[in-house]
Amino acid sequence: MIDPRKTIVVTGVGIVSPYGIGTECLQAGMLAGKCCLSPTKDLYPGFEGSTAHVRSVPLAAHDDTRRYSRSDQLAMMAARDAVRDFDRGSAAFRESGVMMASTVAGLSEIDPAIAQDPAAWYRKDDGLLRAASYPAAHVADAVGDDFGIGGPRCAISAACASSAMAIALAANLLLDGAAPMMLAGGSDALCPFTLSGFNSLQALDRDPCRPFDKNRKGLNLGEGAAVFVLETLDRAVARNANVLAVLRGWAMTNDAFHSTAPHEQGSGLAECMRLAMELAEVSRDEVGYVNAHGTGTPLNDIAETHAYETAFRSRSRPIPVSSTKSYFGHCLGAAGALEAAITIMAVRCGALLPTLRLTDPIESASVNWLRGEVQREKLPLAMSVSAGFGGSNTALIFSDNGLGDNRFASNGFGSSRP
Amino acid sequence: MSSNLLAITGIGSVSPYGSLAGLIPQSMVEPEPITAWPTVGLRRAFLVKPFRPASVVPGLKTRRLDRLSAWALVASSLAIQDSGIDLPQVDRSRIAVVFGTGFGCAELTEAFYQSALVNGWSGTDPSPFPEGLANSPASHVALWHGLRGPNITVGSRGVAGESALIQAASLLRHGQADLAIVLAGDTLTRAIYEWYEAAGYLAPACYNPEPLLEGGDIVPGGFIPSEGVVALVLEAAHRREARAYAHFTSGRWASGGQPVEPIRQMLGGSVPSLVICAGSGSLCANGSTTALAHELSGPNAASVPPRIAPPNAVAAGLADTSALLHLILALSSRPGAGQALLLGTSGDRRFAAISLELP
Repeated sequence: MIDPRKTIVVTGVGIVSPYGIGTECLQAGMLAGKCCLSPTKDLYPGFEGSTAHVRSVPLAAHDDTRRYSRSDQLAMMAARDAVRDFDRGSAAFRESGVMMASTVAGLSEIDPAIAQDPAAWYRKDDGLLRAASYPAAHVADAVGDDFGIGGPRCAISAACASSAMAIALAANLLLDGAAPMMLAGGSDALCPFTLSGFNSLQALDRDPCRPFDKNRKGLNLGEGAAVFVLETLDRAVARNANVLAVLRGWAMTNDAFHSTAPHEQGSGLAECMRLAMELAEVSRDEVGYVNAHGTGTPLNDIAETHAYETAFRSRSRPIPVSSTKSYFGHCLGAAGALEAAITIMAVRCGALLPTLRLTDPIESASVNWLRGEVQREKLPLAMSVSAGFGGSNTALIFSDNGLGDNRFASNGFGSSRP
Repeated sequence: MSSNLLAITGIGSVSPYGSLAGLIPQSMVEPEPITAWPTVGLRRAFLVKPFRPASVVPGLKTRRLDRLSAWALVASSLAIQDSGIDLPQVDRSRIAVVFGTGFGCAELTEAFYQSALVNGWSGTDPSPFPEGLANSPASHVALWHGLRGPNITVGSRGVAGESALIQAASLLRHGQADLAIVLAGDTLTRAIYEWYEAAGYLAPACYNPEPLLEGGDIVPGGFIPSEGVVALVLEAAHRREARAYAHFTSGRWASGGQPVEPIRQMLGGSVPSLVICAGSGSLCANGSTTALAHELSGPNAASVPPRIAPPNAVAAGLADTSALLHLILALSSRPGAGQALLLGTSGDRRFAAISLELP
């Protein structure tokens, strides 16, 4: 028996991805198996490898783009997409909170010359204004100010688990009554800083990545943003909202193992998945699909495989798993929210997306590595997992709208309001 | 006393007052001349005196870390020591770390830009890159102490410290952790200091050597940047026999609307005996925080108005992350038992309010 006051539902999802703006183009592109990765040097001369970028971020002409970093702009566009059908004058919307993740934030607007003479750098080319977008909190403020909403605002930094964690923490705040509605997600722009950083760590694959393949060589970077609108079920029903999914469970753990490497046995991630299933009150047999973190790095993917073997041990059949980073790379602070959106898409469409270029998967009796064609299957529950530098893990479990009626036919993200 | 009550049972700090476990002995701190980078004329700030972290916490290796990570390790160790918790005897998968910061690991971020300036983007030094991530301090705290619960780094303009404390309390109340190490802090780097200066935020006291006002109150003209990290141990009040510095009862934070009614609602009609103003450093924030404190204690609010602890200059210099240092400085003044309100504001309408019971 669900308690509508304690059930968190998703009533809006906004996306900016290398496929374009909106969930529809993301869904169409991924179901068609389109890969957005292209040579990095086309956009960033001097850099090798493959990346996926967003072609245009069309903020309206009156928006002061000098004030907003590219991460801010991606976030604002995703948030506008998420609430495009909302009554923005309602009291609930005006009191909404914002919980946004970003690892890049305004770093995209700063160049190395700042290190030589910061004061001189601030004096030219709007340097002072550009540097003001450096804190991650600026992304949350950009979204909140864009709508003039007045609930709590917060930035989350947990490396590549950031935006999944933002969704989890927004759910906590809703249960606390801190706001009637939360906009939660993440946004990260491609920029030389992160390209150079991952290149210096030798973590990049020059070719399109191959998550969970024995011959994987590393990750590719992407960019994008995803924003969820979360609220409690009773509020959503009261305003006849379009309930896209129920956030059934969430959990956060830390490996406490190494500052950049995951625990070799994936124990922190396995525990995270167990806790999320416990909160959702579901068994490991009920989870029909896992959208993996699956970066394509040698260390991550083997640790993650071990985590699935622990979390889904004794299941009646292997757990279906895929990494959708093979379509448009690793979007860092936005990855968790983008992949949560893809997980909801899987539940609503009954479409399990394969990992692209997975020809020789890591051997595991517990995992059904999805590859080849899109697998069609009715999917009551699915999980999205994220992990990041510093050992942070987050797991989110989504189900269909859970209202027990057929008003919300599973047809992807399209409106399902009667 | 509600069973939902949470207790602050340990305090650790690395600040211009030194590296300390527990309360901070009352003493005046003057701004120091900046020598870490070239300045045109005198420039002053409240600085953490250089120290070797291993001299405070034996065995710590911090050479490759941002100072923010090193200070978080020291402050968390001092807070855990102060709380009396025997870590090996507790389930560390149930301990969360929540860290509030405005700028994150700015020092190593600047070092990475420096590396790009010298070697080009294709030849950057790998070591500052992951260590420069904003969540590195919280991650190192988890790694050093073996804490496997939720590990969260938050930023909220002007109220990051309050946000960290409120979200840590939320984790405990939702059963997602039994205990939380709550931290807030920032370092002062050349790029940050010069940004404040270029934006016109620095107080005249940053440029002249005159002593500050007595009592550590905010100085005329406003903002003298500061640095440091404060750590608190937060746990269920009845989890074990432990001394409590304060009990967290509730918190509200928002970025719009009128703050007075929601705060009064949170306080349940009662009037705190003490309002601790956690001004975030800017002139407008300090002014609006104290104005709000007076408004809350207005003629309709109480027959006995609360004592108002004005923003402390050293703590206020921590800008977004000032709240926890303001709190422990107020606790260090031995305010006596009663209800207290930790109050921060930023900009015109943003506020954070935390209700505390002082034993």
